[in-house]
Amino acid sequence: MADGGTMFFSVNGLSKHFGGIHAVENLSFTLERGEILGLIGPNGSGKTTTINMVTGALRPTGGTIVVEGSDMAHSPAHLFARRGVARTFQVPRLFRRMTVLENLIVPALSDYAERRSTAEERARGVLQFLKLGHLANQYARALSGGQQKLLELGRALMLKPRLLLLDEPFAGVHPRLLEEIIDHIKSLNRDGHTIVLVDHNLEAIQSVVTRVMVMARGQKIADGNVAEVLQNPDVVRAYTGTRTSH
Amino acid sequence: MLHLSFTRWSQAVLLIVALLLPLGMGPYWIHVGAIAWYYALLAASWALLAGYAGQFSFAHVAFAALGGYASALCAGQLGFSLPVAIITAILLAAVIGALIGALVLRLSGPYLALFTLAISEIFRLMLVAEEDVTRGMLGLPVPGLFTGKSDIPYYYLGLALVVLALVAMNGLLATRVGLFLRAIREDEGAARASGVDTTRYKILVFVVTSVIAAIAGIYYGHFIGILTPNIAILPEMGLVIAMAVIGGIESLPGAVIGAVVVFLLSETLRSYGEWRFVLMGLALILVQRFAQNGLFPVLESLGRRRQERRAAIPSVGGPSNG
Amino acid sequence: MSYFLLLAVNGLVIGLIFALVASGLTLVFSVLKVVNFGHGSLYMLGGYASYYLITALGLPSLVGVAGAMVALFIFGVIFERLVIAPMYTDKVERKDEYAIIVTFGLTILLSNLGLVVFGPFSKSPPSFMPGALILGPLILPYDRLIAAVVAVVLLVGLTLFLKRTALGQALDAVSQSRESAAVIGIDPRRMYTIAFGLSSALAGGAGALIAPIFALSPSMGDLPAVQAFIIIVLGGMGSVGGSIAGGILLGLVQGLGVGYLPDPNRALAYTQAFGALLLVVTLLIRPTGLFGRSHLRLE
Ligand SMILES: Nc1ncnc2c1ncn2[C@@H]1O[C@H](COP(=O)(O)OP(=O)(O)OP(=O)(O)O)[C@@H](O)[C@H]1O
Ligand SMILES: [Mg+2]
Repeated sequence: MADGGTMFFSVNGLSKHFGGIHAVENLSFTLERGEILGLIGPNGSGKTTTINMVTGALRPTGGTIVVEGSDMAHSPAHLFARRGVARTFQVPRLFRRMTVLENLIVPALSDYAERRSTAEERARGVLQFLKLGHLANQYARALSGGQQKLLELGRALMLKPRLLLLDEPFAGVHPRLLEEIIDHIKSLNRDGHTIVLVDHNLEAIQSVVTRVMVMARGQKIADGNVAEVLQNPDVVRAYTGTRTSH
Repeated sequence: MLHLSFTRWSQAVLLIVALLLPLGMGPYWIHVGAIAWYYALLAASWALLAGYAGQFSFAHVAFAALGGYASALCAGQLGFSLPVAIITAILLAAVIGALIGALVLRLSGPYLALFTLAISEIFRLMLVAEEDVTRGMLGLPVPGLFTGKSDIPYYYLGLALVVLALVAMNGLLATRVGLFLRAIREDEGAARASGVDTTRYKILVFVVTSVIAAIAGIYYGHFIGILTPNIAILPEMGLVIAMAVIGGIESLPGAVIGAVVVFLLSETLRSYGEWRFVLMGLALILVQRFAQNGLFPVLESLGRRRQERRAAIPSVGGPSNG
Repeated sequence: MSYFLLLAVNGLVIGLIFALVASGLTLVFSVLKVVNFGHGSLYMLGGYASYYLITALGLPSLVGVAGAMVALFIFGVIFERLVIAPMYTDKVERKDEYAIIVTFGLTILLSNLGLVVFGPFSKSPPSFMPGALILGPLILPYDRLIAAVVAVVLLVGLTLFLKRTALGQALDAVSQSRESAAVIGIDPRRMYTIAFGLSSALAGGAGALIAPIFALSPSMGDLPAVQAFIIIVLGGMGSVGGSIAGGILLGLVQGLGVGYLPDPNRALAYTQAFGALLLVVTLLIRPTGLFGRSHLRLE
């Protein structure tokens, strides 16, 4: 479990503009160690852009991203990964013509701290956990959509993440696999992983998180207990498509 | 594994054949063989750059020209001793390779191809235009490496360079760098998200392959004795691409064999003139269309591949088409 | 002054031809997201097609040009169906490289086929119309005038076609998003084939128009192709209007450059290098072209 709620990740005044589009505007939030946060919002509200920024894939237009005391807003993506900030992609981005095992070994070897043999051992453990063991030597391209999502989760786990950002892990997944992924996320959180979970499947999100943050048109419009937030009129309006007052 | 489908055993046999061949060949074919090693070096290093690392560059023969001209000018006009001239040329290629690698960090696919094509053309046009230094299309004389008239020393030097380059490149690929390069080729963003310092490895692969291309050019210049800007024309790059693709763009020994076979064929069929290149263009399209891993890996592991393909059929659902 | 005018007018004519070549390249790029490295050899093929239609079949010159465009359209459609189309299936994993290699292979194939079939020596088809229009100090051969007029007609026609017709709109829809286009009932694969055919026809038409001005040779497509690459990176990358403007501009710059720089050998080399340098600098500033949309990989 979390060790008494030390704040270890905080985002302050984060913005991203693409030309005239304000994809994310003045976003601030903090995460405590061991916490699991649901991040929801209508299409185009800036969720993926937020993940891209807090993993270094996109340079923010403004704002700070503080990971355990140091501002990483201008660090390249691979340094985020090495600091244990790991992610999955909305549409799986695997190394398609590499084997499942190789997909997992890449992150393990990337910081030169681990030997290949121990990395491979750890990868087999992760495959066991994800029930993908029998696919170890398959090419990633040969996996089904759901299996690809699992493998991406595994690849993120190989970074020994302190913070795990999952972009729509439930989207397009077979109901049977959905249960499985939910269980994986729960058990990862039980083991102390801090997780940000982005998805449109509110039901699935509610079964995992207690805190949820809502974005609409690049801005945070609510943050707090799931049940309360979903009653919030601003949130309801954002989802039903009518303009909010601000 | 797919990427190392040439067994050590068959490589050893090929090496022995290559070593013994000059015993049974006349001077003409020894000369041809020595030139084939030049293309083998280029094709194999380009296969590493384009096939392994996914950096499709049209500037590879320009690096051969850079090496050749630099070594020739250092040895000639600047009066360096041969070893110093050669080392200077190699270092220069490493520096320029790093520079190009750094410049193209944000480019991919057709943009990278166009960029390197333009760089290559600019360099070639400079070689043509700056006659005072390069003697333009008249050609720059280059001192030989060996005394005597025989091409046999060059043949064995070329062979040694090919073997060394293959050993060095395979050595590199066997480390985690090989894994990272393939990851970068498959998805650079995902590689970065997995902690891979993609900048570093992309520059590295440009340096390594540029140096090998430059070594090929240095070897060629000192062997042939004269260099013209035509060493870097687009059809030469086309030849190298065809050799690598036909041999197997993701297999370094495959690219070497592709280079040797294509070049020997084109020499054997000399009497057919340009028809040879019609055939080569057609072969390039057909191989890419029907056998994207090249002909030689396909021949080598026909049976094994069929098994792999059967095993690779997805076990649950179809592959996602996201 | 009259020297300047002469150079400018000649540059303009060449520029219009460049614009035709570049707009075809742009069409394929924006719809298929493919840079056709074989575009220059289609231009060459068009020149020879019209030459043989005119000399062997005895067709009138402009009919020969039209015939060349039809022939090249058919050639483009067949090549797209047989060689490019597999790219959109799961069979081809590395799509960018695949497209570069097969189109570049087409160049090797066609330019050498040109050498063996048409011979290395240049050929000249008969004039569209002998003589020249004399406007004071300015002598304008009718061939150039006619080539320019036909080029303008084709460019205007292309623009109208893309803007006003249902097929043109469908091409544009696919170029913006093939998924959304498919949703509204447009078959993207069909549009790819049509775009490639049209693009080939434009290249072929340009080659046929230039034939009476400069003679035909198997390597005649190399330079215009490189110019077209530069133009689409600079201006177009998806914009037909941009590539027309870019083509005319580049033709003018080169016409004047070669005329005014002292040493002709160097002038030629460096005006070519200048275009390439422009391309390099543009890509360094904007890795996906100056005014281009970001490059969409076909996944
Ligand atoms: N690279 C980009 N260039 C331009 N605009 C972009 C880019 N990436 C995202 N956007 C825009 O930024 C806004 C936010 O997009 P984002 O992908 O972050 O939304 P999202 O909340 O993840 O939506 P979804 O639920 O559909 O995944 C959208 O308007 C999108 O069009
Ligand atoms: Mg998203």
